[in-house]
Amino acid sequence: MLRLSLKMTLARKGRLFLTSLAIILGTGFLSGTFIFSDTLSKTFDRLFTDVFRDVDAYVRSSSFIEVQFGGEQRASVPIEALDTVLGVDGVKDATGDIQAFARIIGKDGKPLGSDNGPPTFGGIATASVAGLWSVEEGRLPSGEIEMMMDRATANNGDFVVGDVVRVNAQSGSREFTLVGIASYGEISSPGGATFALFDQPTASAFLLKPGYVDAFLVQGDGSLSEEELTARIDAALDSTLKLETLTGAQITEETTDQIGAVIGFLTTFLTIFSLIALGIGCFVIFNVFSITTAQRLRENALLRAIGANRKQVTTALLVEATIIGLLGSILGFLTGIALSRGLSALLAAFGVDIPTQGLSIEMRTVIITLVVGTLVTIVSAVFPALKAGRVPPLAALRDTAIENVGSNRKRFSIGIGVLVLGIVALVLAALGVNDWFLGLGVVAFFAGVLVIGPGVAKPVALGLGRPIEWWRGVTGAMARQNAARNPKRTARTAAPVLIGVALVTAFTAFAASVEKEIRDTIGDQFNGDYAISAPSNGFGGLPTTLSDEVAALPEVEQATGLGFATVTLDGEGRFVQVLNPATATGLVDLEMVLGDQTALTASGVIVSNNRATTEGWQLGDTLNVGLVDGTVKTLTIEGTFVPNGFFGSYVINRDLFADTNNTLFDTIIYVNIRDGVSDDDARTALATVSTDRGLGTLQSRQEFIDAQSGQINQILGLIYGLLALSIVIAVVGIVITLLLSVFERRREIGLLRAVGMTRSQVRTTVRWESVITSMFGAVVGVVLGIVMGLVLIVVLADDGLAAFSLPVSGTIVILVLSFIVGVLAAIYPAWKATRVDIMQSISTT
Amino acid sequence: MSQAAATAQAAFKIYGSGDGEVRALDGVTISFDKGKFTAIMGPSGSGKSTLMHCIAGLDSLTSGSVTIGGVDLSGLNDKALTKLRRDQVGFVFQAFNLIPTLSAEENIVLPLSLGGQTGDRAWIDKVIDTIGLRDRLDHRPSELSGGQQQRVAVARALASQPSVIFADEPTGNLDSKTGHEVLSFMRRAVTELGQTIVMVTHDAVAASYADRIVFLKDGKIAGEMTEPNPEKVLDYLKHLGE
Repeated sequence: MLRLSLKMTLARKGRLFLTSLAIILGTGFLSGTFIFSDTLSKTFDRLFTDVFRDVDAYVRSSSFIEVQFGGEQRASVPIEALDTVLGVDGVKDATGDIQAFARIIGKDGKPLGSDNGPPTFGGIATASVAGLWSVEEGRLPSGEIEMMMDRATANNGDFVVGDVVRVNAQSGSREFTLVGIASYGEISSPGGATFALFDQPTASAFLLKPGYVDAFLVQGDGSLSEEELTARIDAALDSTLKLETLTGAQITEETTDQIGAVIGFLTTFLTIFSLIALGIGCFVIFNVFSITTAQRLRENALLRAIGANRKQVTTALLVEATIIGLLGSILGFLTGIALSRGLSALLAAFGVDIPTQGLSIEMRTVIITLVVGTLVTIVSAVFPALKAGRVPPLAALRDTAIENVGSNRKRFSIGIGVLVLGIVALVLAALGVNDWFLGLGVVAFFAGVLVIGPGVAKPVALGLGRPIEWWRGVTGAMARQNAARNPKRTARTAAPVLIGVALVTAFTAFAASVEKEIRDTIGDQFNGDYAISAPSNGFGGLPTTLSDEVAALPEVEQATGLGFATVTLDGEGRFVQVLNPATATGLVDLEMVLGDQTALTASGVIVSNNRATTEGWQLGDTLNVGLVDGTVKTLTIEGTFVPNGFFGSYVINRDLFADTNNTLFDTIIYVNIRDGVSDDDARTALATVSTDRGLGTLQSRQEFIDAQSGQINQILGLIYGLLALSIVIAVVGIVITLLLSVFERRREIGLLRAVGMTRSQVRTTVRWESVITSMFGAVVGVVLGIVMGLVLIVVLADDGLAAFSLPVSGTIVILVLSFIVGVLAAIYPAWKATRVDIMQSISTT
Repeated sequence: MSQAAATAQAAFKIYGSGDGEVRALDGVTISFDKGKFTAIMGPSGSGKSTLMHCIAGLDSLTSGSVTIGGVDLSGLNDKALTKLRRDQVGFVFQAFNLIPTLSAEENIVLPLSLGGQTGDRAWIDKVIDTIGLRDRLDHRPSELSGGQQQRVAVARALASQPSVIFADEPTGNLDSKTGHEVLSFMRRAVTELGQTIVMVTHDAVAASYADRIVFLKDGKIAGEMTEPNPEKVLDYLKHLGE
């Protein structure tokens, strides 16, 4: 029996390959995701092991703030404490280390490194053996106008020793003489980041604050273990300084874990999309097996007639499924290797620049891919396989393929029930009962739609086909009837298209609404003529002195800077908006409910009225604020405002940070130009202090609004890219189904050709059947997608998203593309249909 | 002398070569007159179906020529051949004659619709009434009996007023009573409506409905008979078999 099923499977190699294609693509995506993230992990693991190779002990501040999804902000270390460390017995040498924001400007005036890629650092180059950098060329920097840079950056920027280089950092924009090129052990550029290196006093003053560094790197003389050395240093340090000491191993592990968490998040994100692709693959396999089971009714009945029992027939089909699953998974795994490269390119294309070295293929990836792929195929085929076993032997004597084409009452009612449950869950999620209901609601909604699919397929297909019949006459009429004659098959074929279109539409609707929201918000609240902005990825930005420089320009009437900071409020880490009330009003206007924005004091805070209501806060209530450097102050609530997606929930006065030791950057500077100044003059003037020095991006108000609201489209593009594979699988599904239908109807096609249907007319019939099927999926998918997008927005409403914007043009594009997909999917099956041998098809002998 | 509805001249259809060569048609020259009912008979492998398929434009000859309604088929590409079949030829097959998703009426006007034409409505009504299907027009084939399906097929063959109608064992799947009904209609189509029918059959009773029977054996014409009746035909066949 096993041999027989093997023979049966391999007899139809073309069909075997096409069916496996669905699994190949799905498992390819899955394994590609794993390979990609494993490679990422390995790259960074290697990196950090190298970095901290010579570090035996690591001293840093114990004072830090952690924000969810925002990482960690830590206080700085006073350089005076270094003497204490150097005095500890067992320490060979120790040096200060800084890893702060700095941007090297290339010879073309543009900053080196990418805005959304590896970070751009400023640090210390020192002769100490505990230091990380060694001199490759030239010498160490000494004094406030000298610098070094890493080899890779020097190469990228075509810099040679002796060049004058501009560097931007927290304190401003300055020029330095390049006196040397540095390298990190054997690595010329760790992780694609750029490094501008200075001597310690210059680095502290320029990058952080004079007299402070981020940490001490300590190298022992070998007489003690890392743990012993660490303990000694810890004991020697003044406890009022709030410092802690870690072993080299500990800091390596901590850093690796942090990156690991980010990579983990990325992996989960990508895995979800690959599971969607596999899920759609399931549909295709299920559909194919249902159709072939029906077509092989006679074969199976014959087997049953000559003595095979039910289990044997079912097993034969499951064996076939296993072969397809294994074959598909193996090929999929190999495809995954190529796809991991593709994923890297896809992310880079949408601004997420991650450097990877080599390829990391773990055993775990191979096993998971094969197991998942094979299991998915078998599970999809179980139902049809069981049905095949139940065929009565008498069916061997009948002539046509009999598939239970109709739907039944019970199935329809179950479907409606699940659908209603899904809607209820979505409504509950929208009302804020529980965010989990969103996910459950979506799944139930989809499941309900898919179950009632066959019930609605017939009327919908007939309806969609009406214009085609009207336009194309009898070929259109036949296409319409063919799409409707087997509603179950039509629904199952359209299901993957439905899911893909629904997801695409939901994200499009969501993005359109977010874009509109941002556009409206900025439009309402920002009233400047120009904006100078830096990428706001939480690390670095524009120096806070820049807004003053801009304001000092004769062409400028008013300028204000806006930034973010990480603080604790009543013990919880939070992002807060930092503004300068004296210069903000008129340029940046919050929608105040209570209080006056202009009157915000250095010890005041304006909170979102939503948050105030939730927490029961009133004007005059106080909050304890903790800054990164350990400073603790009290803030008084001086006003409330209507929140939007832009400001977060808290706004404080920049002066809060005066006289403290905190890193502060501006992310946007808004500018009002004096009356009578032309646009050209204004731009030129603004450029002299900003873009000419590589600081930020200069845009007019409209350009700024367009750019900010358009950012969401980058993410949307990425999601489209990730869904593309699922769409491909859906198309493969249509192609296979059509091929099987053409094969099934070869007699009919032969007859039509005999009575005078031209080849072109045959193609037309197949093509329109395909279009009706794909449009069925698309139309229902679009409706579903818009509903889902709406619910998503309502659920997120308390985060400041209130407007729903129907993406009309996006929806039309999606529908048109689905139409084209239907046409394209039909090309091969239509061609196959014209190849039908008239003689063979009409012969009865 | 009425013009020939269809002719074959020195028709050869040879499969394979050398020792494995099969001569399905071994030099057949024949002419089918307009307004006549002709039957082609012969044992299995005599080439009767092959002859019909070639003359109908469904298959190609190895050598020789075929005409339909005076038009030479050689040199026509697939599209032209298809159009010729649509406009000039009617078909009735033994089974699978109808498109299951179309109604009886839609099946009847199928060749016309494919050509984007409505045809002669008066003629079509006449055919439908002659065939006796007026009350079944909106039924699907699955709702019709075997005999009714064959009658619809005959109606379809008549509807476009073709030069010739080819029928391949049209009563092969029917019981004798239903078969007789279908054959009577075909007879009336020729006698009363002036159509031309060429029927391939192995059934002596069916063949005796024809005006003329042509006998094939081993790809060649072996004989002819006019004014047939079943006994004469059976006799001749016995003699042919020796």
